[in-house]
Amino acid sequence: MAGRIRGAITVALLAAIFIIAFRQTGFSFGALWSGTEDFFRFFGRLVPDWTALPQIWPKLVETIQIAYVATIVGTLIGLPLIFLASANTTINGVTLWVSRTILTILRSIPDLLWAALFVAILGLGSLPGVVALTFFTIGVLAKLGSETVEAADPGPLEALRAAGAGRNRTIIFAVVPQVAATMVSYILYVFEINVRASVVIGLVGAGGIGQLLNTYLSFFDYPGVAALIIVIFGVVLLIDGFSVWARSKLI
Amino acid sequence: MTDTRIPTEIPRAPASVRRNRTLMLIGAGLMAVLFVVAVVTMDLPTWRRFMSGLERNFMPLMRGLVNPETEIFGLAWNAMVETFFMAILGTALGAVLAFPLSFFASGNLLGGTRWALPGKAVLVAIRTFPELVLAIIFVAAAGPGPTAGIMAMGIHSIGYLGKVFSDVVEGIDQGPMEAIRAAGGNQLQTFLYAVVPQVLPEFASHVLYRFEINLRAATVLGMVGAGGIGLPLIQRLQFRRWDEVSMLLLVIVGVIIVVDAVSSRVRSRLV
Repeated sequence: MAGRIRGAITVALLAAIFIIAFRQTGFSFGALWSGTEDFFRFFGRLVPDWTALPQIWPKLVETIQIAYVATIVGTLIGLPLIFLASANTTINGVTLWVSRTILTILRSIPDLLWAALFVAILGLGSLPGVVALTFFTIGVLAKLGSETVEAADPGPLEALRAAGAGRNRTIIFAVVPQVAATMVSYILYVFEINVRASVVIGLVGAGGIGQLLNTYLSFFDYPGVAALIIVIFGVVLLIDGFSVWARSKLI
Repeated sequence: MTDTRIPTEIPRAPASVRRNRTLMLIGAGLMAVLFVVAVVTMDLPTWRRFMSGLERNFMPLMRGLVNPETEIFGLAWNAMVETFFMAILGTALGAVLAFPLSFFASGNLLGGTRWALPGKAVLVAIRTFPELVLAIIFVAAAGPGPTAGIMAMGIHSIGYLGKVFSDVVEGIDQGPMEAIRAAGGNQLQTFLYAVVPQVLPEFASHVLYRFEINLRAATVLGMVGAGGIGLPLIQRLQFRRWDEVSMLLLVIVGVIIVVDAVSSRVRSRLV
């Protein structure tokens, strides 16, 4: 009986939220319906023009460069932060709180927002893309990483501490061996996310293949757009596949 | 006479460990070389341009964060409320569409892993298609506004939700299914009374997690005209109105942090 009442309240609450949501956003089935024709016409026009390929390759390379450099730099900055943000390896309560707060803020900002922000600060080009994805990497990696570090078996840590090892040695010899494989798999995962992100950050001017997509779209060059989308699709699929395979080997 | 002294030297690592170490060193070296090549071949601005960019834009942004333009708070708040409800509708749409699809990607319900392959392939394809490109397409088709953003989020979410839903379904306990079949239940009854009750709490938890992701996505979809706080933000970024940008950023970060905290608490109670 009590379960029934709770269920009914949940349903009523959800219904109320949806009604408010429809009103707030002005969601319009009408616009959607009248747009279906355009929608399919858009896809109908997406006949790839492969002569755009010579233009696409260099931008594709740039995209992967951005993702790679950002992943490496973000990892180098993020790794020490992981240990500061984990209760079992941090220095004291203050460092724990400060590093966790920083990471929470970093993690609440989406990739494209970082990109738009750094394009406005540093101007167009690859650099704002690298800086944006570096911050993004730190946030994602440190969150995943500190959860793993906190779940590490405390036995080896205690043993080393009892033998008189300092904090750094305890981390290097007791924590790192336990978490290394998981951490490498997270870094691969973040690289995978960064490749996806670096494809779209160009839309706000942060370099890479997204810039080309923006150009094609603004010139209504749909055959170019189609070729580009297929290339993006293939590359993301390839890197995802590689990353999934490599991660399955690791753990 | 045997040697009874205790050895003080650390013995050499076994061959397999040494081989792994060499491989790791080679891997790290390759990565470092690749990194240097990538940095050198990238077109980077000069140091002076970099510094002047920081000075002209980064400093005003920091000053703005300490002392944001309060006049714009009302606008920022309203835009963020719209963003929030966009994420709710987008997530709901994704969940409703992913629910039936996920069963077509679950090997244990279809009687074999290979029957689930087409469903899984469709989900991978949806996941790989960039959300922002979807948003651009929907803006072109349905006009600018939240509707386009909701549709983009909804379609894109199917990929993720369908995958995790089908993972949940593939991990369920077969016992209840057999029990209902043995008691004479038909296919539909088995599904409704043995499968659905087992998967619902985990489904709900994944939907909430996706909502956290979609809320972040919804804040940027406006940059391509798909509704939400992204539009006022990108306009002010283009005109370098840093005091107003700061206010918008503070509202975005604040709301996302609060929603994350609430959502993760609910999720930990669900599963």
